[in-house]
Amino acid sequence: MEKAIIALAAALSIGTTAIATSMAQRAIGSAGVGALAEKPELVGSIIILVAIPETLVILGFAVSAIMLMN
Amino acid sequence: MIVEMSRVEIIGLKKHLERLIPFLHTSGYLQIDDIREIPDVIIQPFTPPMKMKEEREEIDLLIANINGLVESFSAYHNETDDSGEQTDDLSFYGIKDSVAGITAKVQYFNMRKKTLQDELISHSKYIEILKMISPFMPESSNKSGNATIRALIHSSQTRAMVLLANQLKLLTHGKFEMITVKVGEETNAVVGVFPLELVSQVEGFMKNEKVAKLALPEEYTYLSTDEALQHIEKKVELNHEELENIDESMHRFAIKWLPVLKTWQLICKDKVDEIEAFMQIGETEFAFVIFGWIPKEDVGLLKEALRKEFSRDISLNEIDIPKELQSRIPVKTKNPTVVEPYEHFVKMRATPSYNDIDPSLLVAVFMPIFFGMMAGDVGYGIVMFIIALVMSKKVNKGLMADIIKFLRLGAIWTIVFGVLFGEYFGDLGEKIGIKPLWLSRSEPESIFPLLMMAIAVGVGHIMFGLLIGAWNAFVHKSRNHLLERVGMFVGILGLLFLVGSLSSYLPGGFTTLGWIVFAIGLIAVAVSMGATGIFLGPIEFVGLMGSILSYLRIAALGLASVYLAKVANDLGGMVSSAVVGVLIAVIIHALNIVMAMLSPTIQSLRLQYVEFFRRFYEGGHSPFTPFKKRIHTKTKIVEIG
Repeated sequence: MEKAIIALAAALSIGTTAIATSMAQRAIGSAGVGALAEKPELVGSIIILVAIPETLVILGFAVSAIMLMN
Repeated sequence: MIVEMSRVEIIGLKKHLERLIPFLHTSGYLQIDDIREIPDVIIQPFTPPMKMKEEREEIDLLIANINGLVESFSAYHNETDDSGEQTDDLSFYGIKDSVAGITAKVQYFNMRKKTLQDELISHSKYIEILKMISPFMPESSNKSGNATIRALIHSSQTRAMVLLANQLKLLTHGKFEMITVKVGEETNAVVGVFPLELVSQVEGFMKNEKVAKLALPEEYTYLSTDEALQHIEKKVELNHEELENIDESMHRFAIKWLPVLKTWQLICKDKVDEIEAFMQIGETEFAFVIFGWIPKEDVGLLKEALRKEFSRDISLNEIDIPKELQSRIPVKTKNPTVVEPYEHFVKMRATPSYNDIDPSLLVAVFMPIFFGMMAGDVGYGIVMFIIALVMSKKVNKGLMADIIKFLRLGAIWTIVFGVLFGEYFGDLGEKIGIKPLWLSRSEPESIFPLLMMAIAVGVGHIMFGLLIGAWNAFVHKSRNHLLERVGMFVGILGLLFLVGSLSSYLPGGFTTLGWIVFAIGLIAVAVSMGATGIFLGPIEFVGLMGSILSYLRIAALGLASVYLAKVANDLGGMVSSAVVGVLIAVIIHALNIVMAMLSPTIQSLRLQYVEFFRRFYEGGHSPFTPFKKRIHTKTKIVEIG
């Protein structure tokens, strides 16, 4: 039972952060593509902006990995 | 590496200007500093004569014409090579006349094509309707001496049309015959057959009754339906043939002229650049002055070239760069060929500042290593290397070429880390007894060391960035930046002592030392931020921790890749048929390889841009863009035809 709860918590940790990241990236990505169509030289900045929310899911991954390791 | 730049002034008599500007343009050493944008300059900008203004307008118009032709031809011929047939001895007027000749031909083709296409659209409608009514046509319509008239009416008008037909029968003494055929949801075609001599009477009557004729082209109006159908179908066939001929001619024309037009485009743009250059210089009543930027190593070369061409009539002097112009110094970077693609990656973020360190070399070192750490598989590395090698033969310029060059190096590191992790298409190597040199990522107990590795890489990378940032701040004499970066560095060091002693890697005494060092770092960061530092300092430090944790993506992506590879092998092994099993494994591995090429590229670039650059890189200067010709001309123009 305890193992199942830990697994569920780990899944929630990475799942919810992945959803949050995808929601943020959806908004940033679509705006970024629009901006790139107007100014292709912004590609560097757009990559940064799109990649920033990924830290969320990385932290989610770290938390779930720690849960599973213990 | 950022090339050292010099600021120069070129002074001479105005009578030499017309020769000097093309000379500077051809030599391509100097970036002219627009005198209109330099602060506190007392010399007035050059006033262009009317002739020059008119010439500029004409060239702009010519460029617009050439652009139009290039666009038209691009639909017929994909010319990817920009350098076209080289032309020489070609005055502006020569190009203008030639462009006018080509434009006239293209316009004729386009107009003819439009006419034919319009005809085809209308003829296809006629054919459709005529084919519908043809089977119902009375015999009399084919007799000579009879005329046929057709009309399209709304179905609600059919009854009225019958009444009309009766009236026409009376008018023609019973020689009018009419059929009605449904040709659409609510449309009927009405066909009347009557003696040819009654045409004007019937037409007049229909006009009075406001019945709209189905207006076939004039030449088919009074032909029988079958004859009209035959003629229109023949005409459609001929139109198609003519359209094909026009397309073929345009294709031939495009092959012949597209490269030439692109060359002329460049020649015209060069001419515009020259006229623009005149506007960027300063003048007095008899003399001129040009301010500009040039790499220090090229000053001597330009001086010598000017001396040879103009003797002592023109002088070039190196001058001091005033403080207010420091931000205007254009930046030229010079790196070994292997680093050049990374130079472009850096510039995608921002061109470096003149006094900064060019991070291209650092990116060239770290980016492929991070890529390899994430992808880490010998099999995948070999496949990626082959793909990159094949693609590099086809793509040799632009961003894609840079990414391919990076992938080649990244693939080598993928192989190296693949050996360390013992991964050969996932756990296939392990299954045949190949052991990892360091750790197997597919084992659950390897997750912790993998996470530690990722964090250690992050700590190292960020501390290195902070050291560069501190050096930059020291060079720029920026006290606050220096304090902030050194504070962060010291703070991380304190945390390392703390973690080391708490996890018994370091003696217990390091705990106190760790706290002290960490506190010093935190205070330094807070002080660097002024009055609000007491709040912002700790927040900034938490942000720094976030940046370090961000390197966990190296472990995360690696794990995702190795588990997908494991799934491919396990799934392939579950199937009883060896062929199907191999096929399944190959498909999943192929998907994993594509993902392993894309994701680690973006993520390793992101780690450079967001986590590493943030510690030291500001950028924002404009790149060095020397005043140089886009094209050098060689051969003569050929006849249009």
